[in-house]
Amino acid sequence: MESSGGTPSCELTDKAKKYDRQLRLWGDHGQVALESGHVCLINASASGTETLKSLVLPGLGSVTIIDDTKVTPQDVGNNFFVESESVGSARGEVTLRLLLELNPEVRGTFVEQPLTEILDNQPDFFTPFSCVVATCLPECTLLTLSKVLWEAKIPLVVVRTYGMIGYLRVQMEEHTVVESHPDNEMPDLRLDRPFPALQKYIDGLDLDSMDHREHSHVPYVVILYKVRQRWIQEHGAAPASYKERKAFAEMVREGMRQKESGSGDTFEENFEEGIKAVNTALLPTTIPSGVQSILNEASSITPSPTTKPFWIMARALHEFITSEGRGALPVRGTIPDMTADSEKYIKVQNLYREQAAQDADWVLRRVQEHSQQLGPRKVISSLESSVKTFCKNAHALRVIKGKSIAEEYKGSINLSEIGSHLENPDSELVWYVMLRAVDQFQSEFRAYPGYFQDQVETDIVRLKVCVNKLLADWGCGPIIKDDFIHEMCRYGAAEVHSVAAYMGGCAAQEVIKVVTGQYVPVNHTHIYSAITATSATFSL
Amino acid sequence: MATHIPGLLEEKLRAGITSSKVLVVGAGGIGCELLKDLVLAGFEDIEVIDLDTIDVSNLNRQFLFQKKHVGKSKAEVAKESALRFNPRASITAHHDSIIKSTYGMSFYQKFDLVMNALDNRSARNHVNRMCLAADIPLVESGTAGYLGQVTVIKKGVTECYECQPKPSQKTYPGCTIRNTPSEPIHCIVWAKHLFNQLFGEADPDEDVSPDAADPEQVGQAGQAALGDDKDHNTHTDGNVTRVSTRAWAKSHQYQAKKLFTKLFTEDIHYLLTMDKLWEKRRKPTPLLWDSLPSDGDDNDNNDGLIEDQRPWSVERCRQVFETAVNNLYNRVKGRVVWDNNDGLIEDQRPWSVERCRQVFETAVNNLYNRVKSEEKEKEDTEDDVSLTWDKDDPDSMDFVTSCANIRAHIFNIPQKTRFDVKSMAGAIIPAIATTNAIIAGVIVLEAMKLLTEDARGYWWAAPSTPPRPKCTVCAPRPELTVKLDTRHTTIRTLDQKILRGSINMAAPDVEIMDGKGTIVISSEEGETECNMGKTLQELGIVDGTRLNCDDFLQSYTLVVNIVHCEKLDEGTEFTILGNSEEIKKAQEEEAEVAAEVEQNRKQKISNDGTKTADGGETSDEMVVAEVEDDDLVCLEDVEDEVEEQEVEEEEEEESRKRRSDDIVGGETQPLKKLKSGGGSSSSSGSGSGDSSDVIEEVMLD
Repeated sequence: MESSGGTPSCELTDKAKKYDRQLRLWGDHGQVALESGHVCLINASASGTETLKSLVLPGLGSVTIIDDTKVTPQDVGNNFFVESESVGSARGEVTLRLLLELNPEVRGTFVEQPLTEILDNQPDFFTPFSCVVATCLPECTLLTLSKVLWEAKIPLVVVRTYGMIGYLRVQMEEHTVVESHPDNEMPDLRLDRPFPALQKYIDGLDLDSMDHREHSHVPYVVILYKVRQRWIQEHGAAPASYKERKAFAEMVREGMRQKESGSGDTFEENFEEGIKAVNTALLPTTIPSGVQSILNEASSITPSPTTKPFWIMARALHEFITSEGRGALPVRGTIPDMTADSEKYIKVQNLYREQAAQDADWVLRRVQEHSQQLGPRKVISSLESSVKTFCKNAHALRVIKGKSIAEEYKGSINLSEIGSHLENPDSELVWYVMLRAVDQFQSEFRAYPGYFQDQVETDIVRLKVCVNKLLADWGCGPIIKDDFIHEMCRYGAAEVHSVAAYMGGCAAQEVIKVVTGQYVPVNHTHIYSAITATSATFSL
Repeated sequence: MATHIPGLLEEKLRAGITSSKVLVVGAGGIGCELLKDLVLAGFEDIEVIDLDTIDVSNLNRQFLFQKKHVGKSKAEVAKESALRFNPRASITAHHDSIIKSTYGMSFYQKFDLVMNALDNRSARNHVNRMCLAADIPLVESGTAGYLGQVTVIKKGVTECYECQPKPSQKTYPGCTIRNTPSEPIHCIVWAKHLFNQLFGEADPDEDVSPDAADPEQVGQAGQAALGDDKDHNTHTDGNVTRVSTRAWAKSHQYQAKKLFTKLFTEDIHYLLTMDKLWEKRRKPTPLLWDSLPSDGDDNDNNDGLIEDQRPWSVERCRQVFETAVNNLYNRVKGRVVWDNNDGLIEDQRPWSVERCRQVFETAVNNLYNRVKSEEKEKEDTEDDVSLTWDKDDPDSMDFVTSCANIRAHIFNIPQKTRFDVKSMAGAIIPAIATTNAIIAGVIVLEAMKLLTEDARGYWWAAPSTPPRPKCTVCAPRPELTVKLDTRHTTIRTLDQKILRGSINMAAPDVEIMDGKGTIVISSEEGETECNMGKTLQELGIVDGTRLNCDDFLQSYTLVVNIVHCEKLDEGTEFTILGNSEEIKKAQEEEAEVAAEVEQNRKQKISNDGTKTADGGETSDEMVVAEVEDDDLVCLEDVEDEVEEQEVEEEEEEESRKRRSDDIVGGETQPLKKLKSGGGSSSSSGSGSGDSSDVIEEVMLD
């Protein structure tokens, strides 16, 4: 509400300048969310600090490092955020100091206490965090942590590098995404079910009576709408097949006027654009199946004071569709650029925009009613803009239902997934099996295979036993090549910096998705092999 | 100090790493990460080159730089920061352009390996050619937002950077910019040219006044208007040139109103006299400083005054109340307020014409004052002070945004917000730390593989694509074809726009392959200056002529076949045909098919209400999904962050593994394996999941 009468300069804050390149991805509201995020890192290993680095740089609110170890010469070899003179100092303290140098706006603390103690004695320790990142944990500790965070509904990202192998696991019970940023969005033009204002406007235009100039500056929505009507008159139904759409495009072309009378030369940019847009613009207005299932779920929820705003909005959206919306999502309200004169373009743009506002308003009122029924509760901050964004992205809503690590390890793992991937002896899933096996090895022998140079040969045999036992538990034959076992023992659980750099980048990106609620995170296990430079995602 | 893990990196590789000498080209987003990774991998002899200096907008990812370094050389600071971590390493920094002749063949031959961390195509092309000429392996990389790519290039073994033609960068012909703009970008280019004319270094190619020599207008009048105008001089070439726009503006003390009237009233009136132009186009409407139209837009909360004087509805009061409370609370909490009442920051709100005028006035005044004060500082020199347009300078941005939008209004072109104009004028590509980190990690891993080529067979599991025999760069005798109008195209256009601008030669020598070896362009300064203004035809270059173009620095020789064409597409001066044409066509067809598939899918969904499993997405076809490229690079922001967007999805046929070299960065998703046989598991979730579904489905056809 600033009155900006005589002060036109739009000097941006330093912050806006600094973050300019990323604001173009997740917007100001994404940045606000990131800045109110608080991430806890367990163990400032190479992959741990590389993850934090890519969170500190874009301006995460604050970080907490839990680490009870001292800096070793090995850390100096693979961790950018320790110095050779810091060997022997608390690793959490050293890495935190150097990490915070990257961005003065980020706050941070460190805790020099074993994680197991925290888990045993401070059950609420993790409550303040928007996300926990864990690295280098033995299996049993990881399982305890997984359970605690699952119950507390705090997202957990496990990142791990083991020699040339990277592992990333995202554990979330449920994650809802409004702004999923799909790559190729189809425009929402409603040519098959125009809202009254649009219909009235287009019906009021007569292309034939326009002079040349006007004719070549009619937005193509109008052209396509009119041709579509004619098509339906002639054929009884809208063009559906590829062939029909080709013929439809021809029909649009016929409407183009000649450049000079008799020259046979036709070119009107707006028509050309319309022809190009035929395929996408004629798509029937539908509700994507993924969204439909979210709506179905929403309709069966009884809102309670703890229901997430997402679900209340989804419920209101469902109600909109079954009444006001007559089976369709709210109008999105944005249209592509079109060759047109400003007057008509703005007019058309406003029609869509107004309809979108009207639809969103309906949903908003319904959300408000639901909220009131629930009695005094935490008011959804800036409700109006949240609902607007929700409606605008209604076609791309996403909900991810996760699985806990404890369930994956001790309960039911997705055996068919494992079986089918292991049919390919070079599947990245092999590395998942190997990582699980070295963890069992570790819990049995208190060291990772190959850690002690002189035991490599024995370790190879022992690891093979672990692998086969694991496979047998899953009902698979001993199908893993010895090469992989040798390779695994060669690593001796060491972290290579380049692999940590890679995995840190991936993990940080997932954390950003979780914290900003934008884009769709991995569900749920991601494996990277630096040997072949390949990677894969599995739901196990 | 670097990784010493016995067993993990075998002795041979470790020795190879320590003894090798590597070149890092670029110390920006990828460059910073790369230096860190190299130092920690144990590389000890590194040279890094970058011509850029540090800007505030780098700090969100280029972590070797801090606020105190803003304005300093990227290469120098990156070197200092990285050395803190491995004092044993020797890093040499060059604050310089890699394209200079100083960095010739002998420079490249010093290295075992070159790594590109660049942000623009012309430098990439150049380094590619230099590495081919010197036969040094090159690791090429790039990121854009969540996307990234890493490619290993070895002469004769793999494809070179230019084997797969990239979509050509758009250039806009002068008359579109000066007379008949039809898209927002035309107005933005015009406004940037205007900035240079008024405050920067004037380039004759960037004239902003009406062009009376418009081919559409040839022979037609409009000339009459010339004589009347005291401020105009008529040049023999038919252009209406101001005494020099700058001198003219200066003589009027850069009065905003004077400038406005000249640019947006008089020049438009003049354009209107060229009536041939407006037979098929909508006429522009001149604007008057004192009586600007009110906006057609109803939401003119743009204008402080109007808003302030309008009574608020109760609903409006409620909105304002909500915003005010939020903002005040944020201020109490000490958080910067990003959110405005409508959730848009100032930058993202459209401006009314009136607002544009105000911004224009202030920007002109500020810029003029800057010129004046700088002139005072160096009184002794005769030279004009020139400001450089910079997208991160608020006055420059205000100037271009307001001018472009006023012009857009005049020509009935949709207006753009300052935020959008910045993207378009600055050719800004989003950039984040995560993608750069991932890509740099891959570069170093690939570098290690190059150094141990003969070690484990294992390491080389990923297949490489062999060179394309018809490549216009790495083929033994490369050729390409240029379609242009030999009657109008000048040698200058051939030299500046085609050979340097599009083909990225650094210093071409051109001779006609007519048996006599007639030299038309010489890289020796001044030798062929007299040819520059002549048309190709005048020098005997006609349809079918073959030109031998040789670049000594790049050791690159190319035969250019001329095809005469009188009817090029509107708005193009020349078209370069190579296989690029064919590829573009193929892409367009693919896009069509994609839409088709998408539609079928949607219909299927709507019909049976369940998501189609469409199992067995198996195809051996390679899909090249080229993201909309940096087609605004024509704005010559070479030092800009135009990190190329490339998603080259090479599918290994047998294993159907996706090489993560072609990472679609932070999304992590594209690292996933392609779905094999209807399995839903491996591909579920993640940002662009939908699109990759489409890509996979396209492969069915």
